[in-house]
Formats: sequence, C-alpha cells, structure tokens
Amino acid sequence: MTYLNIEQVAKTFGEGDDAVEAVTAVSLGIEQGSFVVFLGPSGCGKTTLMRIVGGLESPSTGTIKLHGETLGGPDRRRGMVFQSYAAFPWLTVEGNIRLALRYRPGLDRLERSHIARTLIALVGLSGFEKSYPNQISGGMRQRVAIARTLASDPDVLLMDEPFGALDALTREHLQTQLLRIHREAAKTTIFVTHDVDEALLLADRVIVFSSRPARIVEDMDVTLKLGHERGQDMRDTPEFIALRRHLQDRLRAEYATPERHVA
Amino acid sequence: MWAFRKPIPRRLEVFLGLAGLFVFLAAWQGLAMSGAVREQFLPSPWAVVEAFFRLFTERDFGADIVISVGRVWYAFLLAVVVALPLGLLMACYRSIGAFFEPFIDFVRYLPVPALVPLLIIWFGVGEASKIAVLFMGTFFQLVLLIADDTKRVPSEYIESGFTFGANQWQIMRDIVIPAALPNIVDNLRITLGWCWTYLIIAEIVAASSGIGHVIWALRRFVKTPEVMAGIVAIGIIGLLTDQAFRYLHRRAFAKQGR
Repeated sequence: MTYLNIEQVAKTFGEGDDAVEAVTAVSLGIEQGSFVVFLGPSGCGKTTLMRIVGGLESPSTGTIKLHGETLGGPDRRRGMVFQSYAAFPWLTVEGNIRLALRYRPGLDRLERSHIARTLIALVGLSGFEKSYPNQISGGMRQRVAIARTLASDPDVLLMDEPFGALDALTREHLQTQLLRIHREAAKTTIFVTHDVDEALLLADRVIVFSSRPARIVEDMDVTLKLGHERGQDMRDTPEFIALRRHLQDRLRAEYATPERHVA
Repeated sequence: MWAFRKPIPRRLEVFLGLAGLFVFLAAWQGLAMSGAVREQFLPSPWAVVEAFFRLFTERDFGADIVISVGRVWYAFLLAVVVALPLGLLMACYRSIGAFFEPFIDFVRYLPVPALVPLLIIWFGVGEASKIAVLFMGTFFQLVLLIADDTKRVPSEYIESGFTFGANQWQIMRDIVIPAALPNIVDNLRITLGWCWTYLIIAEIVAASSGIGHVIWALRRFVKTPEVMAGIVAIGIIGLLTDQAFRYLHRRAFAKQGR
C-alpha cells in the first residue's frame, strides 16, 4: 500500500434528473514526498477529486486513505492552496502565517516565531512581514498562501490551480520557486492544472483526466523521462517538446469527446 | 467637466457641493423675501438659524438632544447585541437560519408606525415603549444584514481554517468575524440612521421629552422656525454620527484595502 490512496472514489452532485457525475470510480496510489499533477480539461472534475482528498467534499462512494487510515472531513493533515481568496486581507503577511501556527499544538512562542521567519524566508517574502495582502502583488499573495499552508505542517499539500490567475512571467517565477520549495519541504503534493507546460515542469507524475466525469486516461512518470532536476530552460528541449505534444493531443481528444451524462 | 463616469478635480467637487447648498439657501431666502408665501409657512433661513439658538436659550433643548441621542443609542446597542450573534449563527448554521428566517422576514415587513399602538399597550407611554419601537425597527433588519454579510465571506476562507485544524468556534472568531467586519460596520452605520426615523415617530406619538416631542409641541403654537430648526438639529446629529462611523471604518480598514 502506498502513502496516500484514492480508492474507487466517485462523486455525483444532485439527484434524479439533475444528477451530474463529476468523478467516476478513480483509484490511485501516491508515494510519500512525490509531486503529482492532476491534468485535465476545465470543468472535468479534477478539482472535485482533489477537494475529496482534502475532505472538503465527501465522496459518493469510495475512500481516501493516508498511511492506511481512512480520512473524513478536513483537518490539519491536508493543507490547501486555492486559486483565489488566498491570503486573509485583515492580517499582515506574518499574521497570516501565525494564524495557521496558532492551531498547531505543542509549539511555544519562540518556536512559532522561528517557524514564521523560516517560512517567510522560504517563500522569499523577507522584508514584507508587516505588509497587508493588498499592499503586495498577486504572486506574493499566492506565496503567502503557500507559506501559510506549510505553517500547519500538513502531510499532504493540495494546490488548486494556484497560479491560474497570475500573468505568465509571475507564473514562471512562482513555478521555479515552487520547485525549490518542494525540494526543501519535501511534502507530498497534488497540484491541479490544465496547463500542460506547468504540469511537465513541476510533476514527478502527471495523471491525465478525461472530460466530465473525471476518469484517469493516462498515468505518466515524468521523472523517468525528464529527470529530477527541472527548470524553465527545459521547455525547449526535444524531450519536453515531445511530451508536451503527447499530452496536448491527449487533452484535445478529451475536448473532442462529448460529455457523458448519467443515464 | 462632462466626461462620462470620470472623476473631476477635487477642488471642483468641493466648489460644486458648496454651490449646490448656496443655490438652495438663496432660492429659499428669495422665496421667503418675495412675500409670495406667508412667513408662518416658510420662514427665511436666517429666521431658522435664530430659532435654533432660541431653542437652546429659551428652552432646554440641549437636554432634549441628550435624551433623544440616549434613546437611539440604547435601543441601537440593544439591537446590535442580540442581532450580531444571531446573524452570525444564522449564516453559519443553515438549521438556525431556516428556523428564524421566515419569522424575521415577516416581522421585517410590518411597518413600525403600525406597531406603535400595540407597543404602547404593552409597554405604556414610558421609556420602554420608545426603546421597543426603535428595537423593532432596527433589530429585524440588522439580523438579516449581518447574516448576509457573513454569508458573503468566501468559502475558501472557512475551508482554509478547517485545514489549519481550527474548530468551528475558532473559525468563527478568527476568520468569519474579521472577514465580515468591514461590511457589518457599514451596515451598523446605515441602520443607526433608521433609528432616528423611528425615534421621531415614537417621540411624537407619546413623549414629554426629546427632539421629536419638542418639534411636535412647538407645532401647536405654529412656531415654524423652531420646528424647522428642530429638524435641522436631527440632520446635523445624523451627519456627525455618520462621519464618525466612516472615520472609524477608515481608521480600522483602509490600511488593509477594505
């Protein structure tokens, strides 16, 4: 048994004629410390599946297991970074991170201060401790959210298109930072995106989903093909281009498939 | 000057505001001086200013203001103390919302003046009935406004809280309330304004003190300038309170960009 297991998870929203099947019988095992990207067309149900892993949505059938233990509603073991509404506007950068630390048992004041400082440095926000979210850029706000999620020290880090609302340059910058953060923090991560380049750049493993209802159509070991070390300059290598073309074809095929409805 | 939905220079804005006020006063003064309207109906602006000072020197208008302001704040704070927790709970627990919403929606549509006779039967003509009128007028509106503000807190905020390992009470205290606070303060400001409407109704119907009582009593002697001065006094108090609320809002939330 692997570290994190998704076992026969399905999700249907609504009832009767209004029922919409979002996820259909997905099973997946994720190794500890690995970076897994859920790639799929918009609205395919990949976010729903991740929210089920996070306990923010309950599955219609199936279970989520961490270390063999079945998980229920949301808790500190699974941290979430959202696409928007990331940092709390009424707290400073430091205040946001300290809020998550407040609920962690067994830390004294000195430890809290130390962790807050370390995390702020990890996401490159030293010097902005006292700034409010509206005083910093969107990319910096997303980094606050990442640091805050790491502050609660979850076993699994869930990221729902966290860079989706950012401009291309900021996004590249944050991707590079996230690669470094993942190397240093070594958290088991699930990252949802519909951006093929982003998936190939970040992932140890890319899971490609069908159009709704989400079902796994490909499980690709990217490390095997691109190696551990990644960087923005890899985008132009023949291997990267070949994988990009392959995944794009996969996604195009899914866009061409009409949505299957529940009978 | 006629740019569509564009700002204008600050100085022009101030000038136009003062000019509007001046034109209004000048037209009033002109009409009063022309003799077209009897002075009993329309005294000149200056006569109203004189009457305003007479109210303080010839009768103890300051004491009436204190009484009225006291009634407004007493009832308003009472409404806030009950509406704040109830509104928060109604928004956070659907079952509590489902239980109270139909009843509150019904009471909210009852015109407060129609309740005055009933409230006088219940509470007599003393202070209690005045507080009750104000409370009825503001509480039921305020509960729903606070519940709405609370419901508008993005669910991502609350979900983040659960993934930090916070419990429901901690999420309420540390996330929901701070997130909704700027909108709640705004709604408190607006609701406090309504209090004044109901206060005057209450004081006109049954009172021996307060601004509303003074206005109503002077009406009997057709002291139009004093009646108008009383109304102006309410306007000034309202304006000052409103500005104080706005100032506090800015002090508390401007730095956060909210």
